[in-house]
Parts: sequence; structure tokens; C-alpha cells
Amino acid sequence: MPECRTKYFETMEYTGDSVIRLPNGLPGFEQECEFVLIDQPINRPLVFVQSLATPDLCFVALPVLSVDPEYRLLISPEDLEAMGLNASAQPAIGKDVACLVIVSFGEDRLMTANLLAPLVINLSTRVAVQTIQSSSNYSHRHPLLTEEPEPVCS
Amino acid sequence: MLVVRRRQGESVLIGDDIEIVVLEAGANRVKLGIMAPREILVFRKELELTREQNRVAATADVTALSRLANVLGDLGLRRKPGSGQSV
Repeated sequence: MPECRTKYFETMEYTGDSVIRLPNGLPGFEQECEFVLIDQPINRPLVFVQSLATPDLCFVALPVLSVDPEYRLLISPEDLEAMGLNASAQPAIGKDVACLVIVSFGEDRLMTANLLAPLVINLSTRVAVQTIQSSSNYSHRHPLLTEEPEPVCS
Repeated sequence: MLVVRRRQGESVLIGDDIEIVVLEAGANRVKLGIMAPREILVFRKELELTREQNRVAATADVTALSRLANVLGDLGLRRKPGSGQSV
């Protein structure tokens, strides 16, 4: 089994079906075209999106439906085509595609997920695109929860 | 911010060599045509927001991860670290 060096799990073995290919990379990381999805039962619902080329590059992601059970995909025909999907209908999450949202740890200890631009993976080919849902009202910084509520002064 | 009212088919010029034409104007969206020299990058703002957000996301570290695990525990999405036995 092939091995890769990872940011959080040292060196680990991976199987071919855990690799996703992004023809255009990720926005901001256009050269990064291959990632391994590290989806361990103990860390669920977290999924680690580990670059194969750059050990120190690993995104933390969540299945979109765990953040918003009502989430609706609105993928552009170009992105559907890039994933080899039928451009005339939206794919079903869990059946045709997996859909992850990338988590950010910003200032003020706020954790957010990018619901504007989900990482969509064609489940039959493992080709993926971080698609931008321009016609939606989803936020690129959807708050997960602030860690500590502000103390209320009495 | 400069605000200009334009109708369908009308355009604005930016500098000597950038022209933005309103191709279609609907109730909720407009279709713009942009003519600019090749060296000028034109992209939707959402793409830049996602670039920035990905760069922030890539700086996560182990400390951030344990904070996230706590938050997910509060949301009922996973067991809090240190509570209960690990499987």
C-alpha cells in the first residue's frame, strides 16, 4: 500500500480509493491536485483533506450535511462538467457526490466553515472541484460556534 | 464608491483599456461583459474570498483541532475529548 507523509498523522498508508483528484487544484492552492481523504471513525465527523504533494498542507473538513442538513447544491454547469457529471441536473449528496466544507480557525477564536464553496467529489470517479455557489446566499465564513460565550457583566 | 446607473447595452470605461458592458439586466442579476487587456485578471469576488479562506484554513494546527473537537462536542456532533472511553 502506498504511504504518504501527513501534517497530523505522521506517515500513513492510504488506499487508492481515498485519493481525490482536483483538475484545477483548490483556490489559493492551484498546484495541489491530489489529496487523500483521511476519514477515521474515531475522528468523525471530521475529514482531513491531506495533500499528497505537500505533507504540511492538510485541510480540516466536515460533511456539509452535518453543518446544515438542508444544504442545497447549486453547481455551475462548468464545474459539473469538470467532474464528469451530467450538467443538466444537480447531483445528489451521498449518492452521486460527497460534499465537504472546509473549516477555518480565524481570529477571535471563531471557527467557520466555507458553505459558499464546498468541496464536491464525484463518488464514482473521485474527481473533485471546490465549486463556488455564486447564486446562493451561503457564507464563506459560516460560524460553527464561538467557543466561549462572552461573559455577561452584571 | 462611484455609483453609475446604466441600462442594458450601456457600458462604463475604466482607464483607457477596460470596458464593462451591461449585457442583460434582470430583477435579481445582471450579466456583464468585460473587455480588458490579457494581463488584467478578472474573476468573481467569491473566488478571491475562497482563496483567502483556504489560506486561513491551511494554517490550522493541533491546538485548533482540539478546540474544534470541543465545539463539535457542544454541537452534539461528536464526543468531547477526554469524556468517555476511546473506541
